[in-house]
Amino acid sequence: MTPTANPRVQGVPGLTPPPPEPPPASPNYLENGTSLWSWLSTVDHKRIGILYLLTISAVFVLGGVAAGLVRLNLVTYNSGILSEDAYNRAFTAHGVLMLFFFLIPAVPAVLGNFLIPMMIGAKDLAFPKLNLASWYVFLVGLVFGAWAILNGGIDTGWTLYPPYSTRGSQSSVVPGVVGVFVSGFSSIMTGLNILVTVHKMRAPGMTWGRLPLFVWSLYATSLIQLLGTPVVAITLILLGVERVTGEGIFDPAIGGDPVLFQHLFWFYSHPAVYIMILPGFGVVSEVITCFSRKNIFGYHAVAWSSMGIAVVGFLLWAHHMFVAGISYYSALLFSFLSMLVAVPSAIKVFNWTATLYRGSITFQAPMLFVIGFIILFTVGGVTGLFLATLGTDIHLHDTYFVVAHFHFVMVGGMVLGYMAGLHFWWPKMTGRMYSDWWSRVSAAIIIVGFFLTFVPQFYIGYHGIPRRYPNYPPEFQIYHVLSTAGASILGLGYLIPALYLPLSLFYGEKAGANPWSATGLEWASPSPPPVFNFDEERMPVVVCGPYEYALGIDQLGRGLPEPPGPGGAEGPAGRAGVTGPAGPMQKETEVVG
Amino acid sequence: MADPHSHPPAHGTSYDVTKDADTPGGLFAVYLVVLLLFATTFFVSSSGVLGRYALFVQLAIATVQAGVVAYYFMHLRQGDRVVTLTALASVFWTLILFVLFMSDYMTRHRVVTG
Ligand code: HEM
Ligand SMILES: [Cu+2]
Repeated sequence: MTPTANPRVQGVPGLTPPPPEPPPASPNYLENGTSLWSWLSTVDHKRIGILYLLTISAVFVLGGVAAGLVRLNLVTYNSGILSEDAYNRAFTAHGVLMLFFFLIPAVPAVLGNFLIPMMIGAKDLAFPKLNLASWYVFLVGLVFGAWAILNGGIDTGWTLYPPYSTRGSQSSVVPGVVGVFVSGFSSIMTGLNILVTVHKMRAPGMTWGRLPLFVWSLYATSLIQLLGTPVVAITLILLGVERVTGEGIFDPAIGGDPVLFQHLFWFYSHPAVYIMILPGFGVVSEVITCFSRKNIFGYHAVAWSSMGIAVVGFLLWAHHMFVAGISYYSALLFSFLSMLVAVPSAIKVFNWTATLYRGSITFQAPMLFVIGFIILFTVGGVTGLFLATLGTDIHLHDTYFVVAHFHFVMVGGMVLGYMAGLHFWWPKMTGRMYSDWWSRVSAAIIIVGFFLTFVPQFYIGYHGIPRRYPNYPPEFQIYHVLSTAGASILGLGYLIPALYLPLSLFYGEKAGANPWSATGLEWASPSPPPVFNFDEERMPVVVCGPYEYALGIDQLGRGLPEPPGPGGAEGPAGRAGVTGPAGPMQKETEVVG
Repeated sequence: MADPHSHPPAHGTSYDVTKDADTPGGLFAVYLVVLLLFATTFFVSSSGVLGRYALFVQLAIATVQAGVVAYYFMHLRQGDRVVTLTALASVFWTLILFVLFMSDYMTRHRVVTG
């Protein structure tokens, strides 16, 4: 496209013409060896990302089946389908699979693996073999987890509290604990790889102040992974030792301290909730700027709030233990500290909202997921404050209110963030566009189904229905039925992408290098990218900050291609029509870098 | 292209990798020191000479051991400023763990009855 062929660029001083469409990579990373072995032995960060994607998608299905069993069982107030014991095993399987084997690796290991090197202009992660090893270690952990489930499952809840888990439980606690322990190492490896890569391998000109916010958020996530995971690893070992040898560590009957377990467990597991949510924050920052055609509002505030969350997130764990017998002073202290973490979270939400202000917003699937994220995460975060308030938590602890709270942040927040990221970068990863209409429909169904599932749980939790019980008073049945109905809608919403995304590989329109007209380096290379991401001769040189939508230039200083992209105005990349045309525009926003 | 995944230093800086390299003798000496400290711990705990202060001495020895291992074996000695700061940050972080744990354990008021 010549500069003059672009009516909006023409006559606007200071705007750079968009670059020509780069020739397709030959071979691209998908074509570089098609045998199974070429995948299983790959050290290409993009292929490893895809391996993770396939693995955790399978886990998501399994965890979803367990959730389905739990929800079906709750349709009747007397545990009509499962035995009480089977019910315990179902919700534990759901929690363990979804937390340790899906949410923790979801964005860092799939999208982080794929995108971090591309976003900073590197050929690969710093330690490609370690990266592959992390996937195999993850698989080993998963095998232990599967063993635990096939061997009858675990009935302790994902929190594995002793003394029940070390003395009373007749279920497969040890294989489950080993599985979580092993998978922790894969998390550490991924975190380490990302940290070193961001420190050492940024392209010339990619200063810290020009890093995309997705990179900042994964940097903060990696810090938590590196610092926190060893603590839970040791805790799990101690748990296993007590269960196997009968040595008194946590069980008060043999001289242990059960509250010590909770301290150690939550010292990891509270920061771990930020391992789960921070990457989602990163996705939101990328998508929201692109689909409102504006520079991010408050780049430095958003970047530093990620780091703030990583630090402050380590100071609040005992808010899970207010009624576990910790001292009043300590409870007060942790209640106060928990309030603090709402500050960086709120900084982000405010900045995203300000980014939308007077933007030229279009509502393709990634943006719909992100808007869902912001709304649902805000609800989850605010109810977190209710729980962090010492007095109210004594009433709400271990009720469905807590269940609703963390599903709002983790499913409403993080799973939607993951979906947003998957939809945003799908064309880059596969070179294909998916169905615009179906993707929007699925986003809408997911958000509606989500509300219906979890809003009733706030209500029944506030009225005192404890979590993890299969029986409840009959007058609350209607709320559980509503919740199960919502879960069915939610399930349908997840099923639709499971169809149109794979179908797009065969029938989807070919995606250009930069279908969304975004600014990041990853969009500079063809879709799908070549093996080493960028042209061998010309490695990228970064000249500006990550979101110069106001100037209409990408990080290489080239103009942004003119939307609509492939698919025409009706296609998923088509911007014209919904709220008017978008493209380079002059906006009064902060210029970064 | 020998190894496509290796990344040579970006700015062509060449530095002498042998300069700060460990020598077998040096490593062995450090190892001996660690073993010696271990023997001391063992003696302190099994002989009971220090009575109730033994624990503090043992913890102090363990700290020295960890420090020596970090400085020599984990190459903090050769580390640049970022590495040193990172190591110090992790010490600080461990401090958080202990201080906040103690905020619970040291402020519990147990009512002893009977
Ligand atoms: C705005 C900041 C947040 C605050 C102040 C907060 C506060 C709390 C508190 C006090 C509890 C304990 C409730 C109880 O058991 O009585 C809790 C539970 C929980 N929160 Fe949050 N939370 C916040 C954000 C998040 C985020 C972002 C996530 C995950 C992505 C999350 C995940 C969880 C989980 C999984 C539990 C339940 C753990 C369990 O007992 O199984 N929270 N939250
Ligand atoms: Cu927490």
